[in-house]
Amino acid sequence: MIEEPYRWVEAVANRREYIEAQLASGSPIAAVSCGDGILFVTLGRARQKVFEIYDRIAMGAIGHPGDIERLRMAAIELASTEGFARSAADVSLRRLAHYSLSPVMKAAFEQVYGPPYLARLLFAEVGATPETDFYLRLEYDGAISTNGSNRGGTIETFAALCATAHSTKMMETFLCEAHRPEASLEEAISVAVDAWSVGHMTLKEDSNREMPDAGAIAKYRQDQLATVGIEAAILERNSGVPMRYRSLSDDEVRAVVQV
Amino acid sequence: MALDQAFSSGSEDFPGLLRRKGLLNSAPSTVTSHAPAALHQTESTTILAFKFKDGVLVAGDRRATSGNTVVYDRADKVLEIDRHSIMAIAGVPATAWEMARVLEHSFQYFRRTQLQEMSVDGKVRALSKLLRDNLGFVMQGVGVVVPIFATYDNGVNPSARLYFYDAMGAQFEAADYCATGSGSPAVRGILYYNDRWSGKALRDLDEREAVAVALRALDTAAETDTATGGVDRKARIFPVIKTVSREGIRTLPEESIAEIFHKSVA
Repeated sequence: MIEEPYRWVEAVANRREYIEAQLASGSPIAAVSCGDGILFVTLGRARQKVFEIYDRIAMGAIGHPGDIERLRMAAIELASTEGFARSAADVSLRRLAHYSLSPVMKAAFEQVYGPPYLARLLFAEVGATPETDFYLRLEYDGAISTNGSNRGGTIETFAALCATAHSTKMMETFLCEAHRPEASLEEAISVAVDAWSVGHMTLKEDSNREMPDAGAIAKYRQDQLATVGIEAAILERNSGVPMRYRSLSDDEVRAVVQV
Repeated sequence: MALDQAFSSGSEDFPGLLRRKGLLNSAPSTVTSHAPAALHQTESTTILAFKFKDGVLVAGDRRATSGNTVVYDRADKVLEIDRHSIMAIAGVPATAWEMARVLEHSFQYFRRTQLQEMSVDGKVRALSKLLRDNLGFVMQGVGVVVPIFATYDNGVNPSARLYFYDAMGAQFEAADYCATGSGSPAVRGILYYNDRWSGKALRDLDEREAVAVALRALDTAAETDTATGGVDRKARIFPVIKTVSREGIRTLPEESIAEIFHKSVA
């Protein structure tokens, strides 16, 4: 069927639709920069969604666990061998994504007889200041978007990973308003949980297309926190050791968001 | 950074991954029958470790030699591998430092891929395996490494753990103390004496007392062993001393080593 070009385009479009449907149930992940470092927050602890990749790099993912695992392992292998052969300073998220992961994901996506990667990834690399933190979202088709100058030339100090384009946009809009890079870790945790709530509320296709108001977000957040566990991790900016990743326990985060 | 399509899914260990990528040389497998020529020159150093009240203390002199020549007087032979593990090395520096680097990355790689910390037994075994893989070089007389490995086990029974190895990779758990390198015979005598007859066993010493014992032992080793550097007071070069406890690794600052040295040794 792919001898004819338009058939191929059709096959790729079908595949896109299929993958989006597969990803649709993923729980959103919010990542925000603050003085302490980069914070990843998501709700639901059915399986781990935030991972350490290298000294200064972490990854959040939604999608099929098998595919996430293959990409995660590939990223760790690349970063580890590069860090060993040269130095940890030579391991960069930009190179990792642009030269290694993206081409492979694009190839798998477009070879319509082979299986694509059912995964959408959010990487973050902690810098010296929130302004030098680097966020990178990698789509199942290899497309990359980063936090560089999307909104009028300013660098975003946050990122969102969501199952649908609409709720991703809602989360980003919310974070753009609510998040300040000079926030304390406690404030950052609270804003990130709110952002997660916005993302989760706007996931359903029939849900309200408007931004929920503050009261609705607070109520939704409280309802969700009562029933689901919190998964959070931080890439520490100044931890005194090369390894910056530290996962935060449910209790640690809950103490902040339930007062 | 090209992506290898045959990545491992975490089923191989880090040295295995490095070999697959051509980043780690395999030792020659053909073992020559004649004895290596310069074996006695290759462990020229003194490192020691013993358990004290807070955990384990590891100390090493700073001298690196080649035959009768002092090559370097600021060598660091006591290396941090992770937040709770120290490897101290006697032997050929090129091999030893590379081995420490592989080990460090191995523990990180394991934690990242397997999403859990490697067990103490696993870490001890990983070093043993590296030594065994190095045997071909050892038999050629070019790569002898005899390390000490000290770590704190934060598991079910929190305790300090201390291991020493032979050049072939056999691991021995030390109950109280151990020492390797050319200056070690003197050091072992001192540590034995201290533990047994000084009136206070090594494991009961506080940090200050433990540092004094370590400095005295290294000073004694340097007295008779040319390959062990003592304290160079002119250049202010002191041994490297680190401790591992439940809280992690602490590197003794030079000022406090100097202060204890002047009070208890000099």
